[in-house]
Amino acid sequence: MAANWAERISAFSRRPSGFLSGTTAEAFLAELLRELRDDRATYSVKILLLSPLCEHPTLLCCSDSVGEETALELMSVFAQCPPKSVQFRCHLLLALTSVLICTSCVKSHSRASLDFLDVLLQIAQDTSDIHTDGSQRPLRAIACECLRELEACCPGLLSQRLELLGGLWQQETSRLHQAYAELYTLVLRNAIYQLTQETGAGAEHLKALLGGNTSAAWEADQESGLASSKDSAILSSLILGPMGTVPTLHTGPDCKELRSVLSTLLDESYLLTPLCQATLLHRLTEVVAMVPGVPPAIFRTHLLRLLGTSEVSLLHATLLLKCAFTDSLFSSEDEAFILKRLVVLSQHLLLSTPEKLFYMDCILHFPENRPISCGDGDETLPVLLTPQLASALVPTVFNDSATLLARFNMLSLVYLEEGEEGQGGQGLAYLYEHLSSLLSMVENGCGRELVVTFFRAAFLFLYYFCHVERYSNDLTKQLCQLYLNHTKLAPHFINLADQTQDRLSESSWSVGLLKALQRVITEAPLTQLTSHDLSRHLKMLARVAEEGEIIQQSTLTFLSSIITPSSSSLCTGGDWRLGNEILRVCRHLLVHPSLDSLLTPLADVLQLLVCHYADMEIQDHARLYYTLLTTLSREKLAGVLAQGMEEGGRQDKKQSLSCLIGEGLTSTLTIQQTERAVFRLIEAPPEPRAGDINSNEVQKGPEEASASMEAYRDQFSDSSFASEITLQYQLVHINSHDSHFDQLFSIRLHFSLTDHHYEELGDISVPCLLRERPSAIVQLTLKPRKPYPTSLHASAIFTSPDGHTWHTTLPDIHVAFQQTFLPLPVPSNWGRGGTLSVFEGLWDEICSESGDSAMSLFCCQLKEAALNTLVEKHFLPFLISDASHKEEFKVLFFLPPRSHILLKVSSEEDAVHFNIATDNWELLSHVNSYLLKITSL
Amino acid sequence: MTVRGLWIISHENGGNLSIRFSRRFSTVEHRAKSLAGSSYVAVPEESTFLQLLLTELGLSDSVDVPPDPRPPLASLLSVSQGLTLLAGLQTFLLGSGSKPDSEGLGSRLAMVSSVLLQVCPLGTPLDVPLPGTPTAPTSVGTQKQPAWKTGLHRGRAVVNVGLIETVRSMQYGNRSRQDLWDVYGTVTCKCEVEGVLPNVTVTLSLPPNGSPLQDILVHPCVTSLDSSILTASSVDNYDGSAFSGPYKFPFSPPLEPFRLCSYTSEVPVPPILGSYQLKEEENQLRVSVTLKLHESIKNSFEFCNAHLPFFNRDQMGVVDMKVSSGQLDVSKEKNLLVWVLGQKFPKSREVTMEGKINFSGPTPGPSDPLCTKLTAYVKLHFKVPDMTLSGCYVDQHSVQVYSSAKPRIVTSRELQSKEYYIWNSTGTAPVSSGQMMM
Repeated sequence: MAANWAERISAFSRRPSGFLSGTTAEAFLAELLRELRDDRATYSVKILLLSPLCEHPTLLCCSDSVGEETALELMSVFAQCPPKSVQFRCHLLLALTSVLICTSCVKSHSRASLDFLDVLLQIAQDTSDIHTDGSQRPLRAIACECLRELEACCPGLLSQRLELLGGLWQQETSRLHQAYAELYTLVLRNAIYQLTQETGAGAEHLKALLGGNTSAAWEADQESGLASSKDSAILSSLILGPMGTVPTLHTGPDCKELRSVLSTLLDESYLLTPLCQATLLHRLTEVVAMVPGVPPAIFRTHLLRLLGTSEVSLLHATLLLKCAFTDSLFSSEDEAFILKRLVVLSQHLLLSTPEKLFYMDCILHFPENRPISCGDGDETLPVLLTPQLASALVPTVFNDSATLLARFNMLSLVYLEEGEEGQGGQGLAYLYEHLSSLLSMVENGCGRELVVTFFRAAFLFLYYFCHVERYSNDLTKQLCQLYLNHTKLAPHFINLADQTQDRLSESSWSVGLLKALQRVITEAPLTQLTSHDLSRHLKMLARVAEEGEIIQQSTLTFLSSIITPSSSSLCTGGDWRLGNEILRVCRHLLVHPSLDSLLTPLADVLQLLVCHYADMEIQDHARLYYTLLTTLSREKLAGVLAQGMEEGGRQDKKQSLSCLIGEGLTSTLTIQQTERAVFRLIEAPPEPRAGDINSNEVQKGPEEASASMEAYRDQFSDSSFASEITLQYQLVHINSHDSHFDQLFSIRLHFSLTDHHYEELGDISVPCLLRERPSAIVQLTLKPRKPYPTSLHASAIFTSPDGHTWHTTLPDIHVAFQQTFLPLPVPSNWGRGGTLSVFEGLWDEICSESGDSAMSLFCCQLKEAALNTLVEKHFLPFLISDASHKEEFKVLFFLPPRSHILLKVSSEEDAVHFNIATDNWELLSHVNSYLLKITSL
Repeated sequence: MTVRGLWIISHENGGNLSIRFSRRFSTVEHRAKSLAGSSYVAVPEESTFLQLLLTELGLSDSVDVPPDPRPPLASLLSVSQGLTLLAGLQTFLLGSGSKPDSEGLGSRLAMVSSVLLQVCPLGTPLDVPLPGTPTAPTSVGTQKQPAWKTGLHRGRAVVNVGLIETVRSMQYGNRSRQDLWDVYGTVTCKCEVEGVLPNVTVTLSLPPNGSPLQDILVHPCVTSLDSSILTASSVDNYDGSAFSGPYKFPFSPPLEPFRLCSYTSEVPVPPILGSYQLKEEENQLRVSVTLKLHESIKNSFEFCNAHLPFFNRDQMGVVDMKVSSGQLDVSKEKNLLVWVLGQKFPKSREVTMEGKINFSGPTPGPSDPLCTKLTAYVKLHFKVPDMTLSGCYVDQHSVQVYSSAKPRIVTSRELQSKEYYIWNSTGTAPVSSGQMMM
């Protein structure tokens, strides 16, 4: 069983969602809890069982109440667990903390979380083992850590316990004092933050806070503490650089108590591990920043020790200290010293590469005493970083890639600032020499990592120094040579061209490079060309052909010479892939702005492909391009081909077969999705009803009431009788002016249901929808299983004038309850008498039956005139009684397939009464809301 | 100041990646979620993590500040703390050596979970994994025991202070390119001293006229520093008036050995000056090497070897070389000559190697992107006991221990080489700069 659990837990943590799809969260949780209670399971297995609760508590506890129950279960497991199983008890505390925090039980101060808090505080205070073996010490340490995490997630939770925690910290002499110190400083920091949010809070409040004096001064705070915990600012670091603002507490100069607490914490910080020291230092930085009454000089005695440290986190905390207090703690000499120190550390032999990279980043985000820029997160050079100082960080070929690029970037910034004269010029020369030596290493055939590093360095160089033509032109020349020798680097070249074009939009370097590459490719002798090289050349030429400014004649000459069997044998094999690469170049040329001058040679190339290329598909494809080229006007051609190219863009080109074949065609051959809805269906205004029951008064139905009922019932023997409702809609454009969709053709509407109350609907075709013409009428025939209100999803496929096929989604169609009403379906020759007798017959049946039938009464206040209007407006088609008979209106709604709603509406002295009878009680709630709606209008 | 998740991934030679350990911290995730609001990005599941790691991992990295606008790394204390935690875990898993043994790695991986319970139970790093388990007795007195001290020492007091200086060099034998060398020193201590917070002071001294120690970095257990100790820096222009010792380091030692401090120093000459010349002659290479030991260096090595690798050529065939001193080992498979100079240079303090190598072997030898054509180097490996280039030393009598029992004090020093290159002066040496950096 144990092995099985190990497997299952590891399967769970590998893919929690997948694991839970095979079972349910509740079942898995129940299993875990059962096993945790099982005495036969070993503690090592039980520790394993807790890990899903620690790592994914919200997956297992889907709601806060499940979290609460789980926590109560775990707490009872904890209570029953013998004290000597320290490890297991530690893990239990962690699991409880995770569950209670993540399910928001702590935030809502649930029963379990309050109990848990008490348990933790008890453990934290229990020092009874101190004179024995200290075996419970790990448990105390974990309890402190849990309390710290609770306070971190719910700031202010422990504010009231500040004095207690301070006492624990001061008394503890074992290594555990660290846990108490961390907990205490966090609670202190959060409590002071809360005070800053209080209007009128001052020195007295601060004093009360530290003294644990929970007098009246605190009452108000408790409430606001909880409120402000919603504010996420308290969760985040308060030291955010020169533009960050820190909330402050105005205490005046008298905060002796706080100052003494801070001094003790700082003096003892030496006893903490470097990581905890850094955290503590940062917390205290925040506290002092919030309380201007405490001078930052309180840190001064510790600065030398911190600045000399080899620990990255301690020095970092010191930099953040500088960021917070600038020249109120650090002189300009200090600043120069720290910067030099950072430069030294950025290249220090004994530090690891990540640490060195981090220090370089710190230089580029150096917290200056008087920053010039506003510190918006961009990399800037500190004023004090002279070229001489920075020269310690020049890149060398011995650097690893990340270091090399970081140094290259920094030195580029330095030399850019210096300008091209003097030192800057020398520095620039050095950087270029360095880039050249990287290039020669690539030339000599190095690994992929170096290749990538070179291209990144080249990009950085161009990014900063593209305007220095003697270098950028020379780089182009060197790159061309490199390309000829290493055509397999083509993707890197294309990427470099793309990136420089995107990032340096005002520079033409990228086009220059592509032009030069076109020249070397087309001028190189064909005899030495291998098919691999050719394929890469074609990729490059396709990219070159995207540039409107580049003349394409030489590309065409090249294409023609490689296809012509007499000049080259490369294409005689009829390789399909190669053919597609040639076609890709042609396709770009078909939309090139200088197409007019390319017409003949391009047609020749396509003709050559049609005649000589040994692959049928390539021939066909070339023939299509040829036809397009020779028959379509330029605008049309661009229309057919350009769309796919622009939409595909080179940023998100997908490597699908259809893209290889040509993006332009894909748009004409596939269905495209509109970005938003183009048209919608709106309810058509009701047509005037002809042949109303009222007009047929002269004719009569069966003589007797019972016969009427029978005849009426008989009609339903045909199951399709009166089973459908027909709704009229108008198909209209949605009012956005996308002229592209002004004229739409061959629209096919498709509907899908959102519930099971109706039969599936068939598709509906609409020949066209033109914006300037009246809207089309669409008849929607619904066949209810149950006549409830519903919504329908609708979508459509249509054709736009340019021949593209589109798929679009329409806004949902809402079918209201009253739209399912039909007049009583009686033979058209029946008069009022017949219908009336059916009404009475049904009414009597409903009164006497129980089953699905139901009676109800709806009352409302309505003036007589208002009632008449209401009947006129809503009930007229369904009115059974004579409209002039105003004492009582009899109304009957028939709802397919078989339901009836009968109303007797009469004005009584206090209100209008709607007596309702129906043979389908489930409709009553809908009737009620319908009546509410129409009577409240 | 928190970690959202931790993954230990092994990358085997074949390029196989696998997750060996993973731990995520749900409460930190909860905080990240409430801080990030709508821009929250969840940590991916373990099964998709590797692939995302290789392609793109766009997690916001912060639990300390709101993710928008994206804060610079330098403003997040979590970054440096994370670096420390990861480096600590790496040392714990792999040891300080370079190659991990798979068996030891497996057993240490199995311990990561319980290690995290101590150093990072809820995603906030508290410490790095300690080398030993804290089993030693702990304090019961009124003095607070440092959290970084795993226990108390009982027994004889011994203080061991070792000073190692490392010299690196790039010599080009070329007027247009300046030769480079630099020296750095580290002081390692092992202190077995009784008491919760014993005081020890180690003093580094320089001979008269010694150039000041620069770029001093100290261990966090050093209790205080004099500002003059930190002033000299290798990136400054030396003004001659700098403080030149003695350098006092008062500290309270942890139980395990630790690096008390490190420094760099500027020395006027490299300990061994070399020249290397290659000449390509039909099918063979003429080789000439001269090494000269500077007179100030004690001529008593623990070892001294010169390695001459040859890249991007066929395997060696006939090797016809003569050395004036020491012996020559030829490794034809590796295209490598190892010149073992032994413990002493001859009286003249100069040794030479001359001869020809013919690369006529049947298969190509090793390749290197840097060392093509005549770009080649000699790399020196040597160690000299009981001496430093800077002259820096720790006087046994200057080590002060404030404790009741008189401790035994052991001090030592040595000089070693690292990345000590002599480039062929007839080929293009790779670019380096006015200063020495590798």
